Amino acid sequence: MAEEAGRSAAAEPGVAGAAPGAGAAPGAGAAPGAGAGVAGAPSAGAAVRASGLVKTFGPIRAIDDVTFDLTAGRIYGLLGPNGSGKTTLIRLLTGMARPTAGRAEVLGVPMPSRAVLARIGYMTQSDGIYPGLTVGENARFFAAVYGVHERGPVDDALAVVDLADRVDAVAGTLSGGQRRRLSLACALVHRPPVLFLDEPTVGIDPLLRVEFWAHFRSLAAGGATIVVSSHVMDEADRCDELLFIRSGKVIARGTGAEIRAQAGTPGLEEAFLQLGAAVGATR
Amino acid sequence: MSGRRILALFRRVVQEIRRDHRSVALLLVVPVVMTGLIAFIVREGESPAVDAVVVNTAGPPGLVVAAALGVALEADGGTASLVADEAAARAAIEDGSASVAVLLPAEIAPGVAMTVTIMTNGLDPAGESTQVAQVGRAMLAATASATGMTVPTIIRTTLYGVPSDDPMAPFAPAILGFLAYFFVYILTGISFLRERTGGTLERLMATPVARGEVVGGYLLGFGLFATLQVAILLAWGFGSVEVPALGPLPSFSVGLGLPIAGSPLLAFIVVVVAALGAVSLGIFLSTFARTELQVVQFIPIVIVPQFLLCGVLFPISSLPEILQPLVGLMPLTYAVDGMRQVLIAGADLGQTALQVDLVVLTAVAVFFATIASLTIRREIA
Repeated sequence: MAEEAGRSAAAEPGVAGAAPGAGAAPGAGAAPGAGAGVAGAPSAGAAVRASGLVKTFGPIRAIDDVTFDLTAGRIYGLLGPNGSGKTTLIRLLTGMARPTAGRAEVLGVPMPSRAVLARIGYMTQSDGIYPGLTVGENARFFAAVYGVHERGPVDDALAVVDLADRVDAVAGTLSGGQRRRLSLACALVHRPPVLFLDEPTVGIDPLLRVEFWAHFRSLAAGGATIVVSSHVMDEADRCDELLFIRSGKVIARGTGAEIRAQAGTPGLEEAFLQLGAAVGATR
Repeated sequence: MSGRRILALFRRVVQEIRRDHRSVALLLVVPVVMTGLIAFIVREGESPAVDAVVVNTAGPPGLVVAAALGVALEADGGTASLVADEAAARAAIEDGSASVAVLLPAEIAPGVAMTVTIMTNGLDPAGESTQVAQVGRAMLAATASATGMTVPTIIRTTLYGVPSDDPMAPFAPAILGFLAYFFVYILTGISFLRERTGGTLERLMATPVARGEVVGGYLLGFGLFATLQVAILLAWGFGSVEVPALGPLPSFSVGLGLPIAGSPLLAFIVVVVAALGAVSLGIFLSTFARTELQVVQFIPIVIVPQFLLCGVLFPISSLPEILQPLVGLMPLTYAVDGMRQVLIAGADLGQTALQVDLVVLTAVAVFFATIASLTIRREIA
């Protein structure tokens, strides 16, 4: 196991201390009823752990030495511009891609692991649903693949995304937002304790977006760990904690308030630019 | 009508195709290679040397004819040898030591009309026609030069009786096998590609499903439709249902009514196993395609050579020597041979030739299914 391949670039101003996983972040104490209902989660507490993760594509370091622990029962926002490495990071954490160095653990098990995949919900950036099947058929298919054969969880998942009355509609005829909702339902059918959502709210109207976030919150309250990637900063404040990703590195971590304070800016967008510029200066 | 807009579209088409190297190759290189291959097959395709056995029941005059026949065949690199009786001749054809048997009439004398029976294996009607014609010419020369006798009448027969005079009969086994294979390949290749391009494969790989399970599920799913297709195709091919005249409508028959010597069920099994091979081939090749067009582009590479070399169009026996090793590599070769064994020879499962065909076809299906499941990319097996 490649352990913490020396953080040579650790001297980044304004970043030091923010990136590497400091277990439970400050200010987190009140929020979660951590671990409730997450059977089998390691007592160590980290539901998701990255240690020295590196992924290179040829000369490009898409993920550049990322280390963090994510605690159960919290919502984490992966924020960063397009191409910053959010999707690659999620693929590494879910075991869909093999890291060049370092390792990813979910629920205490090194990825990739098929057993753990059964306990992960993954909503891909593309919808990843079968346009020729109906809404219900799509949800039931993914449920069956996850080993869920009862109707209950499937109906619940469809109700959550407000598609219960469209069960018999062919997915290909749905609107973009409806497809996105179906895609989310397909990631929820097996009630996973860990959820990776890659840009879940793209193309979703504000009203439903609020409902989505309310649902994420209730899942987290039930002990689920949720990792949401987004490049929309106004969603960031709904997360318990944010990880700013830039050029494959975690350049800042903390609650929205902490990050604003750290950057000394009133808004997250400015904070991002500020912190990003600091990194850019050292490159 | 704006010339500039047309020009803009023209430029876009050129830019896009120029960057799609596969399309350029398909357009410019493949036809040249294809016509080259076909020209090669047709030009270099040798009429194979005929090894004939002669059954002589006519005494000394027959020996003279047989000797003359031998001389004529040897001129083309073949041979002629005498065997005791028809049973021995059949045995020689069956085990492949001879390709043609010539049965001379009981009486050979000047002024007596002469009927010669020429027997072949019967499994490769088109190829054998060439050989029969060759022997026929040799017979003509042999009888004329040896005895100055009348032109012989030639009766053609095969190990399995007189060949059907249905002009479709020689093609039926190959065509039925080929079409089922081809359409199943297209359907599977494109469907599985959608799984990749639609993002569902990525999502599927993020579930506990194993790659083998994915390929297994596809094999079953498309296997079902392949089975259905083959069942309908064969029912249509072999069936001949007479619909009686009804009022002003004259009676007519539904189905091609193709002759079949063996069990339709066996023919069905042969084609289904071949089609399952096409399913796994389709899944495997879709790995190397990004668009549906590219799946289609594989046709000249994987389907056309099989079509040319499996004996559908050109008899295998007349293919150039250098291509013969390739023939054995083509899965379709075994499908076509299996169909011929069942349709023409009436083979049952006890026949070694049919067993070999089925075993090879099964092995091909398993092989491609295995490498297809290995090419589905994921870090977890």
